[in-house]
Amino acid sequence: MNSFDHFTPATLTEALSILAERNGNASIIAGGTDLLLRVKNHIVKPAAVLNVKRVPELRALSFDSNEGLRVGALTTLRDLTRSPLIRDCYPVLASAAGLMASEQIRSLATLGGNLCNASPSADLAPPLIALDAVACLVSLSSERQIPLAEFFTGPGRSVLQKGELLKEIIVPPPQGKTAYLKHSPRAFMDIAIVGAAVRIQQQGGKCQQARIVLGAVAPTPLRVRSGEESLEGQTLTSEVIRQAAKISAESCSPISDVRSAAWYRKRMVEVLVRRGIEATL
Amino acid sequence: MTDALIGQRVPKLDAPSKAAGKTIYGHDVRLPSMLHGRILYSRYAHAKIIRMDTSRAEKLRGVKCVLTPKDNPPHRFGYGKDNKPFKDIARSLRDEIAGVVATDADIAEEALSLIEVDYELLPNIFSPREALSEGALLIHPEHKSNLFQRYNYSHGDLAQGESESAVVVEEKFLLPYVSHVCMETSVVVAQFDHRDHLTLWSTTQIPFLLQRDLSEALGIPGSNVRIIQTAVGGAFGRGLDIYPYEPIAALMSRKTGQPVRVAFSREEEFLAGPARQPAEVTVRAGAKADGTLTFRDASCMLDIGAYVSWGTVTPLVMMETTASLYQVPHARFTADCVYTNNLITGAMRGYGNPQSTFFIETLMDRLAEALKMDPVNFRIMNANVPNSETPQGLVITSCGLKECLEAVAASADSARMNVYPERSRRNEGGRLVLSEVEGMTVTANIKPSPFNLQPPHIKRGIGFASTLNVGGGARIYRSDGCGATVKVDDFGHVTLVTGSTEIGQGSETALAQIVAQTLGVKIENITVLNSDTDIKPWDVGVHASRTTFIAGNAAYLAAVDARNQIFETAAQLLGVGVDQLSASAGQVTVRDEAGKSISLEQVARRRHFKEGGKVILGEGWYDPPTQLVDKDTYKGNISAAYGFGAQMAEVEVDIETGKVRVLRLACANDVGHAINPMAVEGQIEGGAQMGLGYALTEELIVKDGKVLNPDLLDYRLFTSADMPIIETRIIETDDPGGPFGAKGVGEMGGTPTAAAIANAIYDAVGVRMTQLPMTPERVLAALDEKEKRARV
Repeated sequence: MNSFDHFTPATLTEALSILAERNGNASIIAGGTDLLLRVKNHIVKPAAVLNVKRVPELRALSFDSNEGLRVGALTTLRDLTRSPLIRDCYPVLASAAGLMASEQIRSLATLGGNLCNASPSADLAPPLIALDAVACLVSLSSERQIPLAEFFTGPGRSVLQKGELLKEIIVPPPQGKTAYLKHSPRAFMDIAIVGAAVRIQQQGGKCQQARIVLGAVAPTPLRVRSGEESLEGQTLTSEVIRQAAKISAESCSPISDVRSAAWYRKRMVEVLVRRGIEATL
Repeated sequence: MTDALIGQRVPKLDAPSKAAGKTIYGHDVRLPSMLHGRILYSRYAHAKIIRMDTSRAEKLRGVKCVLTPKDNPPHRFGYGKDNKPFKDIARSLRDEIAGVVATDADIAEEALSLIEVDYELLPNIFSPREALSEGALLIHPEHKSNLFQRYNYSHGDLAQGESESAVVVEEKFLLPYVSHVCMETSVVVAQFDHRDHLTLWSTTQIPFLLQRDLSEALGIPGSNVRIIQTAVGGAFGRGLDIYPYEPIAALMSRKTGQPVRVAFSREEEFLAGPARQPAEVTVRAGAKADGTLTFRDASCMLDIGAYVSWGTVTPLVMMETTASLYQVPHARFTADCVYTNNLITGAMRGYGNPQSTFFIETLMDRLAEALKMDPVNFRIMNANVPNSETPQGLVITSCGLKECLEAVAASADSARMNVYPERSRRNEGGRLVLSEVEGMTVTANIKPSPFNLQPPHIKRGIGFASTLNVGGGARIYRSDGCGATVKVDDFGHVTLVTGSTEIGQGSETALAQIVAQTLGVKIENITVLNSDTDIKPWDVGVHASRTTFIAGNAAYLAAVDARNQIFETAAQLLGVGVDQLSASAGQVTVRDEAGKSISLEQVARRRHFKEGGKVILGEGWYDPPTQLVDKDTYKGNISAAYGFGAQMAEVEVDIETGKVRVLRLACANDVGHAINPMAVEGQIEGGAQMGLGYALTEELIVKDGKVLNPDLLDYRLFTSADMPIIETRIIETDDPGGPFGAKGVGEMGGTPTAAAIANAIYDAVGVRMTQLPMTPERVLAALDEKEKRARV
């Protein structure tokens, strides 16, 4: 491993100042479950590492029935699985986090890391996007909010600018029911071949609002608007549900890699979207 | 002898220290002034090195020296004598072409990137078929052919077998590369002393053969090589060969005059370690209308990679399954072991048997189906029997195959309740009675099955498979022997020095039990030494599930010898005849004379401390009464006993995703006599874990000679969260040749697993899986194929 400068700021301002000084050229470390692997495998050679673990402003976890949930970037996956607040109001986030990695890694890995790492298969992204979550980004000079659906720009890439940090995620009050289904060869300790999050809000026996968000089938998490539209305003009969699942499968163009062939990923999209919708009924 | 030590559940003697993290593994070895070596592998799968410039690497601070093919001794080494430490022609992507020694491993690693190499590319051969095609480039020109070896076995008359058959089935199988994935990656520390003697700290399974191999590779006398075995963090056959990194570490130590450590990263372990041979297999088999087997005919093509290892001998075991698992009157087996520019391959737990059992037992299931026979009854009626000889020449002494099948069939009864509740479930006052199974009533307090709540896309099934495995050694070297000594000191403490090696299988504990039982002492009074070629007597190595049988017999003989010496002195001291004595609870007692006894330690002291005194030192050498197979016919009794086993898998298949969940694996094994039932269960469960991975998730994905998934995320081992319920049943048949009736069990646990699961998948959803692993994608493709055929 090569040597690098290491900073441990105690406040958000301090963290952002260091980042600004370095012109954004510092690797952020929180849980370290992604960064350390990449350093060890010589994929990245950071000149500086900014440890944000001691920054209290990144640790929000609060709920307001009007504003919704504020969840800080440093929230660990284990926190997500255990927090009564999350479990009660957003059970899908608790269950999605619980499907990831192992107990040991979940106690280190953070929400912010999972999102900023911007892996197409990140398990937290589809359910959060389905919940219309908003990312709160801060830099020394500004603070801005963007829908999480617009946060990702490609594998490992996001809209984060030099000098910017992901501070927290804001999730609107829960509306309807949300499900996240993950398909992987092993039950645990595995990566999603396909992930599918579905949120369905019904009123008067009809689907009022729908969200279908897929993971691991495109360079970024993929929202399937045509699938959502096929559900909205409809009574969710099995035929309607099958149709939405089919549209979802047709609207993605996944790759073939060592984990799965493209045809199989498409098939799994169809199965998971259908089962996901069924799970919200 | 009625002490209960044999057959007692004794926790492994080495377990507390391992659990506490105090065991010294190879990776823990640190010597004063030790240096670190790293290896540069070829960038191309087949290329001539035409220029190498190491000057920049040599100048890096901390680098001691760089080694290249120029540092090679003139000798070749390895099973096929086709390997050298550093290659000037790379034949695979894992070929070592240079090495760096530095003060730490990171510096050495950095220096590797500073070595400039110019290659002249040669044509690649990545398929055995292409390697055998006419005019194919020779991968080892001195070998004259890319076919390293052809196995050609037969017994009976295949045409007659075929003509007697009422049903004949045929299938093609594809078997993958898999890796041992030892928790401890490969590691070695080498040190030359002032006498130019080499000491090697190693995780090998074959210390004495490695001593010889290294002496050949380095061109030094074998007497100048000492192997010290550290605690081994997993071996599973990986340690059965010499690998280039071992002589490389020695060359590095010699060149620097300091101890050198070479330790693999996990990625390197996947790329440069040996893998189980991938194979393409075509098998035919037939049976008469009454269910009697008529013939089997299997032909295999094995990709052995760029260099030969002991793994090339695995067809011998595949042949054994084909010719001798069940009674087969006519059989033929051929296997071509072919050089390619792919990964090197080697020996791995089961040694060919998981592969052959998968294809043979899949065909057994197809035959039972074609005959409309119960798959268990069909197997039992053809099962091997005690005191018989197979046409291949295997002399079967004890045999519990029928009992194993019956045991897993009993497990299947409760599984059937889940699979076919309407057929076999009847609720009688809260207790479930399974009454539909012929001739058997099993009651169990099982909660009512949630079967009815299963969604329609989940289908359940059960499947069976058996296994035959050598259980009394395997003579693949001219000696299959093991030596042992037993010393009793003047505190009454007993030290067993055995040639055999503890690789996590629990042999240390089983051998201590055998010696303790024979000398009548507590197991706490035994120390086992088994890790230093300068101290321990010769042994061929840990393989073929041979340690309990072979090293057990040697330890027993040494203990009996020591006991005779004890009795000789005790008889004089007590004024009785030797034949009146017995040993128990640390005492030598006179039978039929209550109270007349003397302690073991007293006997030892009285024997030592006198003029003309003697040490109590027993010795034993055991080499089983077996034969090397005939080099032309491959017939002969290779082992002094044979172990048997059967498994029943209960699975759930999701027909929409192709995902298979194993709910339960019942494993019954004929182990002769269980010296330590807890250790036997551990071996079976551990084997099952490997078998489950081979069946469902594990595969080194290799394209153009390159491993595409060299990590523990994409090379999927079965984790504890994936494990089904494992039921283990120990079947005891008391083998006449084994120590206290014991036979080997080490490899059997995972051998029938893939076949049992494949047969269960067929039972559940009606598709025959013929390629491993049976991934969700492959299962779904097979289901699609089945549906397509149904529509036509």
